[in-house]
This record gives sequence, structure tokens and C-alpha cells, in this order.
Amino acid sequence: MMPGSSIGQMEINAAIADELLNTAPVGYVPPSAGKPRTRWARVFPALVLLLHALFFLAPLLTLARYSLQNVPAFLLGRETLFKKWSLKPLTMAFDHPSFGPALKLSLQLAVGTVAVTLLLLVPTAIWVHLRVPKARAMVEFFTVLPYMIPAIALVAGIIVIKPHARWFLNSDFSLIPFYVVLSLPFTYRSIDAGLRAIDLKTLVDASRSLGRGWAGTVLKVVIPNLRTSMISVSFLTAAVVIGEFTIADTLLKETLPRFQATFVGREPQAGYALNLLALLATTALFLLLSVLTRKRNPKRKTFEHRSAQLAAKGDLSS
Amino acid sequence: MGLLPFFAFLTLFLFVPAGGVFIDALRTENGGWSLEAMGEAFSGQNFQAFKYSVKFSAIAALVGVVFGTLLAYAAATISRPRWLRSLIASFSGVAANMGGLPLAFAFITLLGARAGVFTNILKFFGIDIYDKGFGLGNTWGLVTVYAYFNIPLMVLITLPAIDGLKASWREACANLGGTTFTYWRRVGLPVLTPSLLGGFLLLFANSFAAYATARILTDNSMIVSLRIGFFLGGDVAIGDDAVGYALAAWMIIIMVISMSLYWVVRKRAERWRS
Repeated sequence: MMPGSSIGQMEINAAIADELLNTAPVGYVPPSAGKPRTRWARVFPALVLLLHALFFLAPLLTLARYSLQNVPAFLLGRETLFKKWSLKPLTMAFDHPSFGPALKLSLQLAVGTVAVTLLLLVPTAIWVHLRVPKARAMVEFFTVLPYMIPAIALVAGIIVIKPHARWFLNSDFSLIPFYVVLSLPFTYRSIDAGLRAIDLKTLVDASRSLGRGWAGTVLKVVIPNLRTSMISVSFLTAAVVIGEFTIADTLLKETLPRFQATFVGREPQAGYALNLLALLATTALFLLLSVLTRKRNPKRKTFEHRSAQLAAKGDLSS
Repeated sequence: MGLLPFFAFLTLFLFVPAGGVFIDALRTENGGWSLEAMGEAFSGQNFQAFKYSVKFSAIAALVGVVFGTLLAYAAATISRPRWLRSLIASFSGVAANMGGLPLAFAFITLLGARAGVFTNILKFFGIDIYDKGFGLGNTWGLVTVYAYFNIPLMVLITLPAIDGLKASWREACANLGGTTFTYWRRVGLPVLTPSLLGGFLLLFANSFAAYATARILTDNSMIVSLRIGFFLGGDVAIGDDAVGYALAAWMIIIMVISMSLYWVVRKRAERWRS
């Protein structure tokens, strides 16, 4: 395009704009009018954020203070603010004879629940996607049903059936299947979303026609593509199991949360410090999860990743 | 047939226990069937407990809806530090799951009668909230604590809905001579209503079902989940065993109603999001 004509166009544009502005009807408002522009509209969101930040940080900070500073709250003042801080209460619970077994049981339950969840749900979800896609909505409906049975009502049910299955329910590990059920609403959905993001049928057809059996296809082709959602399922489930109190407490299973609750009565400061640790550990688990699941995607632009992207795009536009 | 293990598992560990609750609630001591226990679990003291719990859960849900929506709106509006939004979103993901013991203990160190730092700060300024009837185990105390996981849950629900409000709608409203108030009154709120209503139902169910946090903070048997817990632990005489299970049965019924409504409302909320 010639420079002259472009200048000419600009002049015409300016003229049109000028005319528009001068002949606009009285009620005309520039298009930006609806956007927040008053000072109040700009300050308001910041104020909301600030108040929420205070509300969400305050309990965490006071819990940390109570755990690490041996000064009663009513004595807090200018002179005592920096006195008697110590990291010692954090590890005091570790010396209690019941701590080790409780931690061990909770970790075993977490590992068991994750294993059962993956073994049960990954094949089920693959089967639904490949063989009975029509049943997907139905299966998803069943996976959210546990939302309707609160943990305390589920415990009531466990106590009802206990006389008929004492051999099973007396074991500490009998909690595992109930924890699997409890976390079902988010675990199944996450695996389902992971499968939806890849072109499962094409991948499986390709692998099968290249001579792999079903087991090999699932292990070498499907599972590696599901890695991200399987990691997040594992972390979330583990976090839920390690923090679960209702069922374990009512059934008198000596898990970590039950120890947390009783230990507070015996050693308040160390007990609160243990709860602080539990909170920090869970948060760390979530942070690790977001790092683990984020890192992989942008770096590896393999075929499956790109097809996943395409599949996701198709999903959005449909 | 590949679905067989899944449904067998669900039957054994969800339907059998849940069904067992209903069967034991309906069975009389001599083996017959009767609705008596269900009636008893929903009258007198037990009915008072349900009334209180529903009211208290509704307040907790309302608080979560109001502040959660405000926070989601703020997160959607403020664009300057770009990480702020994703920080709020991921923090909400963590905090929405943060019920249980640590949360209860954290609030004791903030608002407890003696150990509470904020309680003592207010006392320093001459305000004794415990003199005014506040208690962590009372309605407003529990509502405050539950807000810690209800607000983030609401953010997770409404943030996509608020993002779905198109800038062009606001501009169209302004071009037709509408003020900010007209925009929210005629466009913004009507579009958000299904999401807000759905959020309310989910938060209600969330608060109604909560147990662990309340268990640490109070012995109040007016809270239905605690009432069932006391019954199961044999700590409180409610009547027959059947009445205890009938309490759990009613709790499940209320949960089923509110969650079903939630799914109906969610279908409507998704209409604007395509």
C-alpha cells in the first residue's frame, strides 16, 4: 500500500470520527462507560481482597504463634512479643509412643486407598470410554452419590452391618474401601477428564493393530497418557485420607487425626504444633501437586500431547 | 460387564451401609416394620435439632455465598499483578478441602475464649465478645469457622460464572443508557442467579454434613451430625437404636433433596457458559 493513500485514509477516519462525536445523540455514551471507572469501583475489589486475605491468614498465623511461642494470649504485649519462641514443640509429638503407630496406620491407609482407587477406577473409566460410552453419564451419576451420604451417616451404616462382617470390619484396613467411596466424586471425575483429553480410541486401535495385547496397550499406551490425572488423584486422595477424622474417630481406629485430637488434650502446645505440621504437610502436598502437573505439559510437545490439545479444543467448541 | 467390579464395590461399601441405615430405622424390636422411629426422629428434641441445623447451615451457606461471590468478583476484576488471580484460584482449591481438626484448632488460637489472640486484642480495646454471647461452638462461631472452607468453595463455583459475564453485555447495557446498577439488576445478577443458587445449595449440604470441625469446637447435640455421632458412641440417650438410625436416615434424605436441587440448578447455570 502506498504511504499517501494510508494518510488519506487516516484523514477520512478522523473526519468520520469527528462527525460522529459532534452529531452524536444526546444520550450517547462512549462504549467504555460501563466499565468500572469511579474511584470506588477501583478501590472496592482491593478492599475485598484485603479483608479476605486477613480472614484467611489470621487463623494460620495465630496457630503458628500458639505452636511456637510459649506465651498465653492474654499476656501478649510489647515486651512479650519476641520472647519464648521455639521450634521445639513441632517435634515433641514424635516422641510420644502412640505417634509412630498412628502415623504409620494413616500412611498405610493412604497408600491402600490410592492403590484401590486407581485399580478400580482406571479400568472402569477405560472400559466406559471404549465399550459403553453411552453409559458415561450414568456412571458419573453413581460416582457423585457419595456426596449425598455424609461421612457420619456412612459410619452409622458401617455400624449397622458390623455384626454381619465382624471379621472384616475389625481390621484397621477395612477403612480403605470406605475412603475409596468417600473420595469417589472427585477421583472418578479427574480420571474421566484425563481420558477425555486424549484420543483414547485412536491410540488403542493403533496399539492393537501394531500387535500389542490389551494388557500391553493399557500399561504402555493408556497409562502413560493418564499420568497427570493419576498423580492428582493420588495426591488428593492421600490428603483426604490423612486428614479424615469422622469415620476413624467413631470406629475408634487409631489414625493420625485421632492422635492429633487426643494429644492436644495432653500437651496443648505440642498438640497444636502437630496440627500446624499436618496443615503445612497438606499444603505442601497440594503445592507439589500443582508443580508436578504443570511442568509436564508445556515442555513435552509429543504426538499424544498435541492430539490431547486438539481433542480438548474440539471438546470446547462442540 | 467391565462395569461389574465398580458396581459391586459401590453396592458393598455404599448402598449396603446406606440401605442398612434405612432398614434399621424402619425395623421394630420384634422384627416387624414401622415408621414410628422415623416419626420420633423428626419430632420433639430431634425435630428441634433438625430445625437448628438447617437454619444454621443456611446461614453458613448464605455467608459463604455473599463473601465467596465478592471474592470471586474481586479476583476477576483485579488484573494488575497477574499471579494474583491464579493464587486465589489455587488457594481456594486448597482451603475448600481444609475442614477437620487443624482448622478448628487454628480458630481456637484466633477466637477462643482464653487462647484467642483476636479475642484478647478486642478485650484490650474494651470489647468482650464472649460477654456478648459469642462462642466458637455457637451459631455465629461455627458460621465463622465454616466460612473458611465455604468461601473458597463458592469462589471455585462462581469464578467461571463471573468470567462468563461478557464485556459486550456491559457495553450494550451502557449504550442503551443503563447505569452500573441497571447492569447488575437486569443483566449480571439474572445471569449469575443459577450459579449463586447452586452454590447456596452445595454450601448448605457442605455445612449440614460437616462433623469433624464442629466436634472439636462444641458438644452441642442440637447439631444433627454431632447428635448422630453421640448416639453412635453411646454418649447420649436418644431413645431406641432405631431412632438413632432414623436420624441418620433423615440426614441422608435432606442431603439427597439439596443435592438433587443442586444438579437441577447447575444444568441451568451451564446454559450461559458455551
